[in-house]
Amino acid sequence: MMMAFEMRLRFFISLLVLVLILPSWPDFAEATRDNRATAPDFTLPTSSTSSGMLSLHDFRGKVVYVDFWASWCVPCRQSFPWMSSMSDRYAAQGLVVVAVNLDKKRDSVDEFLQRFPATFAVALDPSGKTAEAFHVAAMPSSFIVSRTGRIIYSHAGFEPAKAQIIEDQIKEALSQ
Amino acid sequence: MRVQLESGKRSSPLREMLHTAALGLLLVPATAKAGDPTDRVDVTSLLYGEQGRTQVIEPVVRFTHLWADGQSVSAQLAVDVITGASPTGALPSGVVQTRTSASGRVITSAAGAIPMAPFQDHRVAFDGEWQKPFSRIFTSTVGGHFSREKDYQSLGVNAKLSTDLMNRLVTITIGGGINHDSVFPVGGTPIGLSDGIVVHSGSNSKEVKNVLLGGSRILTRRWMMSVNGSQTFESGYLTEPYKVISLMNPVTGAPVGQLTDKRPSTRNRSSVLLSSVYHLNDDVLYTSYRYYWDTWSVRSHTIDIKYRRDLDTDTYLEPLVRYYRQTAASFFTVGLEQGAPLPDFATSDYRLGRLQTITLGATYGTRFEDIQGDWTLRAQYMRQFGDSSPPNAIGIQRNFDLAPPVNIVAVVIGYSFGY
Amino acid sequence: MIRRMVQVCRLMIALALLLSAGCATVHPWDRDLLAEKKMSFIPSPMLLAVDEHIYFSKEASTGGMDAGGGGCGCN
Repeated sequence: MMMAFEMRLRFFISLLVLVLILPSWPDFAEATRDNRATAPDFTLPTSSTSSGMLSLHDFRGKVVYVDFWASWCVPCRQSFPWMSSMSDRYAAQGLVVVAVNLDKKRDSVDEFLQRFPATFAVALDPSGKTAEAFHVAAMPSSFIVSRTGRIIYSHAGFEPAKAQIIEDQIKEALSQ
Repeated sequence: MRVQLESGKRSSPLREMLHTAALGLLLVPATAKAGDPTDRVDVTSLLYGEQGRTQVIEPVVRFTHLWADGQSVSAQLAVDVITGASPTGALPSGVVQTRTSASGRVITSAAGAIPMAPFQDHRVAFDGEWQKPFSRIFTSTVGGHFSREKDYQSLGVNAKLSTDLMNRLVTITIGGGINHDSVFPVGGTPIGLSDGIVVHSGSNSKEVKNVLLGGSRILTRRWMMSVNGSQTFESGYLTEPYKVISLMNPVTGAPVGQLTDKRPSTRNRSSVLLSSVYHLNDDVLYTSYRYYWDTWSVRSHTIDIKYRRDLDTDTYLEPLVRYYRQTAASFFTVGLEQGAPLPDFATSDYRLGRLQTITLGATYGTRFEDIQGDWTLRAQYMRQFGDSSPPNAIGIQRNFDLAPPVNIVAVVIGYSFGY
Repeated sequence: MIRRMVQVCRLMIALALLLSAGCATVHPWDRDLLAEKKMSFIPSPMLLAVDEHIYFSKEASTGGMDAGGGGCGCN
């Protein structure tokens, strides 16, 4: 009885492995990315009507906190006030926060920014090409880019409880 | 006033009706707090009616507290009030039949009619659940359950672990549960396949263990699918103490007496469920198919289709269709022949016979500008078809409809709000 | 009994493989539609519970309806 059950259970497990994991194996490799690589450069339009375009290479010599977000992403709502406070606190020491939006529709971006105002730069990439270049694995995802243009830390997701760790990493990057 | 508030919005009689009902309830909170809600209240109320049989009213209230890290705790209270009558399992006699129920009531049934027994009961059920995400890809859920009615008590625990893989394209879920139930029939526990001799007046235990393994996968930007397998092991007292089986004259088919129901003391159930959710431009198509089989030889197919159509940003209409068909349990029989040797197990409960159910219905969901929260109204019509003329019916039983179709209407009103 | 189950499982594998074969990956930032509340296997657990309760008391089959999955690629 128990034997039969174990057999059946094993069968179910192998079924699931086959059906669900195997077809998606390649993008598992894609998700692992090497740190300390040069941050892929990008030039994107910003959300504010006045300032036009924004490029990562404009901020060479500064520490850039690159955040990838979308209006439909729930944890992104928690990261916005936090990014505003980081930008306010460390701008003088050379921190720039760039939040790259990946929404397909502009309306939802404006709606989100009205509810969760940003004191930092918001760039728009509806094509998602920048996210692809950064191998974004979750929403939101963030990257700390050093003054020399290298990715020194990356984070998948945002949890308020772990924000202090990221702040320490920003301070570390600013001290270099 | 209300018309004014809703001006410029789509307004239907259904919306109006719900709105009036909503305003009448004083529990509606005044205004929403800024930011994401940390507490949720869900209220549903079921009104269920079978034509000429059982009626049920079941209000359910559920409180959920949510934390910023995704953790949640919920508590649910449900009360069922059941009244009406259900088939005893006995055969129609061709003459007016009378019998005395367990509670001492005299029951009469018309000639050719399926004998019914009146009953009433109420059930109180409490459920609790704690859900916690951890290390970004895992979610664990632990739950408990307690319910009690006049002659039945159920106590159970369950746990579930989900993990997201491949950048959350895949979710694997493993779960299990144990239930310890007690059955204490009114008037004592009768010996199975006897004429109602009571063995004892205490309770009988029933153990239910269950394991679940599921996997879901995002296939495209609009489509996801899942496969779930489940196994349930039941042991102990699985008999329906109030159901009977007619003893019939082997030639005429006339019922000459009746014996109590007797079912095996173990039952292993297995099922495989395949579901799909597909996003059309705004509408969503939900489909599922389940194959079920158990050691009582019941096999069943269930197909469930729902189509959600968003009428505007706040309102949707979701028609649904469900089709179910099952084979009979190996020990199901319309009646036993007098003088023939008794089988080990037997039941005439139509729910273990060959059966089909067709369900048609729709869910309507809406929100109102002046009242916070989501309202849903689901109405369903079900029709059950049994085996009206089973092959082993003898004599006069061939003249009767041994499983007249059962017509059921179920309405659920739901209200959810966060604060 | 087991043989029957194995048969059914094989059928399911074949079916699921057929359906999942050749599908492209869905990037985390392309899950706007999947993030909608209605894109869930169980969009309304309370309504499902009511239905399950009804069918449990009127039919001989039960189980297998409850498991998680889906949604957005958030966090």
